[in-house]
Amino acid sequence: MELVEKRDGDVTILVLNGRLDSNTSKILEDKVMDILRLGNKKVLMDFLDVDYINSTGLRVLLLALQQLKKNQGKLILCCIKDYMKEVFEISGYTEIFPIFATQDDAVKGFA
Amino acid sequence: MDEVVVLRLSNHLPELDRLAEAVEAFGERHDFPRKMIYQIRLVLDELLTNVISYGFSDDKNHEIVVEIRLADSRLLFRIEDDAAPFDPLRADTPDLTSTVEDRAIGGLGIHLVRKLMDIVRYEHRDGKNRLFLEKIIS
Repeated sequence: MELVEKRDGDVTILVLNGRLDSNTSKILEDKVMDILRLGNKKVLMDFLDVDYINSTGLRVLLLALQQLKKNQGKLILCCIKDYMKEVFEISGYTEIFPIFATQDDAVKGFA
Repeated sequence: MDEVVVLRLSNHLPELDRLAEAVEAFGERHDFPRKMIYQIRLVLDELLTNVISYGFSDDKNHEIVVEIRLADSRLLFRIEDDAAPFDPLRADTPDLTSTVEDRAIGGLGIHLVRKLMDIVRYEHRDGKNRLFLEKIIS
């Protein structure tokens, strides 16, 4: 998995690429901890180029959400591929994560 | 067109790449939709990751057999291993209604397996775990 970090105002955008699984999820977990250490509280994860996620990857998303909430932060997801949406639903994640179709809409979701 | 593929994997996590490739190839040969290929990969990944990560307490090499069979619009899977007895159907279901703060980390993998497959059956026989999964292709 590749991970590119961008900024849009006070929003940290993480553009993810590839697989989010047992081999790669640690990279994302470490990155989220770095962001929190720097005091940033608005995180957007862009899934446009994520083609695979398993329960290890989903677990890291929940951990990130819990950490951000604890620090009065917010985590928003966007651009999840259609074929992966059902897994987010079955996992109960559509109830607890704000999920947007585009990155632009997601950035506005922090307002 | 019916087809059977049998994979013999050793109990090492990098073997999951080989499994993923085989599932992708199988799905593409039969024109499965992207979503179905992904969900099959996911289910087998979750189950095999569990077996490889937690099933063995010795340092020996163990063989895990994965059979994928397409027959009469049904997809049938068989996973057989000599790991410690583990019935995924008896695993706790995570509470997916609790608040973010209280939501437990873990247990999600087996939950996904149960939800994404139409039939899951487990037996322990002759010292082996045998898991039979079935997905009806609509």
